[in-house]
Amino acid sequence: MAIVVEGTGLTKRFGSGDATVVAVDSVDIRIEESELVMLMGDSGCGKTTLISLLGCILTPDDGELHIDGEPINPEVQDLSVIRREKIGFVFQLFHLLPYLTALENVMVAMDLARTKTTEAENRATKLLTQVGLSERFHHRPAQLSGGEKQRVSFARALANRPKIIFADEPTANLDSRQSDNLMSLIQELRQEHQTTIAIVTHHEGLKENADRVVQMKDGRILAT
Amino acid sequence: MKTLFLKDMRYRQARVILTTLGITVLISLILLLGGIMNGMRIQARQYVESTGADVWISAEGSGGAFIGFSMVVEEYMAFLNSGPGLVPDSASPLVFAQARPTVRGKSTKAIVVGYKLGQLGGPKSVLEGRMFTRSNFEDYRPEDPVPYEVVVDEKMGLEIGEQITLSNEKVRVVGKAKSLMFVLDTPLLFMDVRIAQKLLLGNTPHVNMMIAKTNKSDQPAQIASDLDALETIEVRTLKQTLTDIIAYYVDEPMKAVQFLRVMLWLAAGILVGMITYVTMLEKTQEIGVLKAIGGSNGYVMGLLLKQVVLISTVGVLLGLILSYVFAAAAPIFVAIHFVESIIVACISFIVCCGSGYLAARKAIAVDPMIAFRGEI
Ligand SMILES: Nc1ncnc2c1ncn2[C@@H]1O[C@H](COP(=O)(O)OP(=O)(O)O)[C@@H](O)[C@H]1O
Ligand SMILES: [Mg+2]
Repeated sequence: MAIVVEGTGLTKRFGSGDATVVAVDSVDIRIEESELVMLMGDSGCGKTTLISLLGCILTPDDGELHIDGEPINPEVQDLSVIRREKIGFVFQLFHLLPYLTALENVMVAMDLARTKTTEAENRATKLLTQVGLSERFHHRPAQLSGGEKQRVSFARALANRPKIIFADEPTANLDSRQSDNLMSLIQELRQEHQTTIAIVTHHEGLKENADRVVQMKDGRILAT
Repeated sequence: MKTLFLKDMRYRQARVILTTLGITVLISLILLLGGIMNGMRIQARQYVESTGADVWISAEGSGGAFIGFSMVVEEYMAFLNSGPGLVPDSASPLVFAQARPTVRGKSTKAIVVGYKLGQLGGPKSVLEGRMFTRSNFEDYRPEDPVPYEVVVDEKMGLEIGEQITLSNEKVRVVGKAKSLMFVLDTPLLFMDVRIAQKLLLGNTPHVNMMIAKTNKSDQPAQIASDLDALETIEVRTLKQTLTDIIAYYVDEPMKAVQFLRVMLWLAAGILVGMITYVTMLEKTQEIGVLKAIGGSNGYVMGLLLKQVVLISTVGVLLGLILSYVFAAAAPIFVAIHFVESIIVACISFIVCCGSGYLAARKAIAVDPMIAFRGEI
């Protein structure tokens, strides 16, 4: 299996002097194609920091990162290009644009990548139908439930056919029924798109959906 | 999606409209103030130019006609009628004095222009009624009876036959002349020079100035400077007189207004910058998310700038239109100079866009990590 994301010796520190926090400490991690990895650990152990590093939102202080086989060099590369072409994000707080409908929120991701509007609309329609929101195309985020918003987020994350989706606590703001529905949706989407997904969660109950669980503690990955 | 920025603006309608209106009002005020000053300049020139005089002769040390206090005795100026370079017998006495006539029971500001019919200094004909009766003597003879008659500016709204009071004397309106309002809509009252002397200059043989035409073949500047060399008089060309009068009546007193215009510009810039900035602060999370999901700085900047440019364009254009509406409705003469108003509009547009750009540049510096955190 091809390796989609590979980090070696990834380290990220925040603050300086006595107040320095090593949020991610020499982490080695590989994620293979089509894999569903769950990243678990106590609050503050560095999960979000780690996926931000892997998702090219943060740049590491130390270590190397390869995505889709290519080395990432923030000094010479515009990371926003990598983010929009290779990576999808799902956030705990959904972060849909309030002034756009569900359909437009999915289209925006493609607009960033300069996809033609008609093409983007077709794909957004298809994706929203897949996530079960064919009745909600023209609803604004304020008119959608938490579960529906998170489905729109997944559709948006899939829009540019990313190599990997990083989801940070996607179920944390959902009730258990909504979160079960979302997990089954994620399974369906994997079937359909063979997408690689890394999910950060502290819901022990979601473990069973994962191909692999990575445990973190104090910025390090525990041996499995 | 070309309309993304429009959707964002529609979502924040109230703020967009308020910002636009803010710009509109400020720009129209800037233009209106410019129009008032331009109107004053036009009014400062129009009477002086209408006389057809080429040189303006005032008392030595007065600083020029219209500027300082100038009194000359007409008889002593007789030499001008054969003056070098001057059209023979073109030298005309002129009283130009501020007055407060009582018009329909109300004390009103006006300028009395006393001149000799048939000579330089005032209209040769009227639009309505007739010219005032010409005094039939050439020398100053206060004891001679002369009918107190005045030709008024058509815009004063007075009727022929009405009487106004000037220096406690009743003066009859006999004609209306084409409007030649002086600065700040001050109407001109045209009358025979003898009556003006009698009513306003304390019955003295003085006039305020002499005006004359120069020979076509000569340079007015040369003639003026030759005459100016004489001990008792100051002589200026038409051009110098206009420069003096505009500086004295418009530019100097309006310095504060000029300053105010610059301040209004500043206010417009700060308004757009501030509102853009506050809007951006509110949008920090959205901007962060757009960046996190792969929006380049250029993309986000484009989104914000399109809004700034649209708001500035609409605000400035409405301001331009509104200034013309204000100008038409203003109680004083306002003449917005078209080219100037376009230039001012362009500068205002640049000021608004510039400050919006500065705010936007600050806003796009947001860390996309914010998307992972719930803060703000
Ligand atoms: N921008 C930051 N500045 C300072 N400290 C930070 C910053 N981001 C994260 N941290 C710290 O890094 C550690 C890991 O944070 P995080 O990755 O958010 O943990 P988790 O997602 O596992 O809860 C925490 O101690 C947190 O306080
Ligand atoms: Mg976290």
